[in-house]
Amino acid sequence: MSKAAASQLGRARAVLPFIIAAVVIVVVWQIVVTLTQPDPSVLPPPIAVLKSFGRLLGNGQLIVDAAYSLARVFSAWLLSAAIAIPLGLLMGSSESLDRLINPFVELFRPISPLAWIPMAILWFGIGEIGKVFVVAIGVFFPVLLNTIEGVKNVDPTLLNAGRVFGCNTRVALFRRVVVPASLPAVVVGLRIGFGTGWAAIIAAELVAAQNGLGFLIANGMDILRADDVVVGMIVIGLLGFLFDVFFRYLQRRLGHAR
Amino acid sequence: MTDPAHSSGKPLKIVGVAKTYQTRSGATVPALGPISADVAAGEFLTIVGPSGCGKTTLLHLLAGFMSPSDGKIIANGIPISGPSLDRSMVFQSYALFPWLSVVQNVEFGLRSKRLPRLRRRQIALDYLRLVGLQDFAERSIDELSGGMKQRVAIARAFAVEPSILLMDEPFGALDALTRRTLQHELLRIWQERQRMVVFITHSVTEALFLADRIILMSARPGRIKAEWRVSIPRPRDVTSSELVVIERQIYALLDEELAQTFVQDTTPTPAEGRQR
Repeated sequence: MSKAAASQLGRARAVLPFIIAAVVIVVVWQIVVTLTQPDPSVLPPPIAVLKSFGRLLGNGQLIVDAAYSLARVFSAWLLSAAIAIPLGLLMGSSESLDRLINPFVELFRPISPLAWIPMAILWFGIGEIGKVFVVAIGVFFPVLLNTIEGVKNVDPTLLNAGRVFGCNTRVALFRRVVVPASLPAVVVGLRIGFGTGWAAIIAAELVAAQNGLGFLIANGMDILRADDVVVGMIVIGLLGFLFDVFFRYLQRRLGHAR
Repeated sequence: MTDPAHSSGKPLKIVGVAKTYQTRSGATVPALGPISADVAAGEFLTIVGPSGCGKTTLLHLLAGFMSPSDGKIIANGIPISGPSLDRSMVFQSYALFPWLSVVQNVEFGLRSKRLPRLRRRQIALDYLRLVGLQDFAERSIDELSGGMKQRVAIARAFAVEPSILLMDEPFGALDALTRRTLQHELLRIWQERQRMVVFITHSVTEALFLADRIILMSARPGRIKAEWRVSIPRPRDVTSSELVVIERQIYALLDEELAQTFVQDTTPTPAEGRQR
């Protein structure tokens, strides 16, 4: 078998279980609807959701809402990573800095980003800044903690090799060995952080937004359009899933020898 | 240079070197020495000894990863105060940089020397050719077998053209056949490039096959227990009567030390892996 054909088969093998799972979900859903005949405003049948999906896609609302949610998550994620990665690299390589900052991290970390929503609204109103703030908190801790772990887990023999081969200063060793060696762990943090950020933005939009996927499903509930709600849920799930797949791919590409 | 007697001076002098460790309870544990030894330019020295005798500690002191608690080490007339490109190293666990390609790994030390890019690449490729990996220059480290990884590590160590090569059980993780091949190749490269090699091994056979001189270390705290000069021309047959005589002597003394180690094992001491 050719290499390309083999990898295609491998990909099919990876995707197939997910397709089966999706089919099973739809079939069970249809069976439940057929057996219990619920009010469509409580549990719409799959076909109604499909129609609603076509309508929301056709009038552009779905695209706009998804774009809003993604834009918020990405800006918060970039902002948060821009602080968390350098901080994590420093905390990971300096014992004293770690000891100094770690208590702050550990005291704030158990507070769910969702618990910040009321304060975010009080401080920033219901504009974009408040939502980005909430998501940034959700992204921050996974990125920070994974980066710290990544730096601390750099193989000491690699550090020795770096020193033997000419990294005479701490800065040189940091730049040429510590940073690249901990990169895979940073990507893990970015992946997990994106997941928590994605969860946080939906919650924030449920509470305080005029657009976004969270708003779409909250609004669907208000106007008793359960089909819209389910469309929103599916798109949230699908986008979250796709980004996770993307990050896992990135992780594999960078996940050298771990 | 197969005969170290030709070389002048003593490029490596180990003078009364000892290393002690502080346990968590504050007790001082002697790990190594005192040891004194001179190694000549181009000499192939192997060090054998029971595990935990401080062989790796000695090599780390030679590398400059840490300082001796007592005594001093002088390399080419200068007391060692830290790692240097003039003393490069091959590690048992390869210690290649997995985010770099094969050739970039070999170039790592050359970059530290601030050589221009093209020159760097040219030297790295030369050394990859020397270890037979010129066709693997752009591969990633993950794609290589253990034996190939260690070839890259050898190329990386030789490429900086150090006067001293430190080898910490470099073939310890390889299968017997790969090990044999790499021993031959190391000898070939060593004879071609004429560098001093300080080679640590668990294997008496390996020491006999490679060395100009074999140092046997005692159980912790490691001291020099005995020394043999092996002036049999290479390639050697380790089953030849001359080498078997030395082998018997080494094992006889090693057995005494192993018995000693067994007694020591009943009293806990810090594991060698944590001695850094």
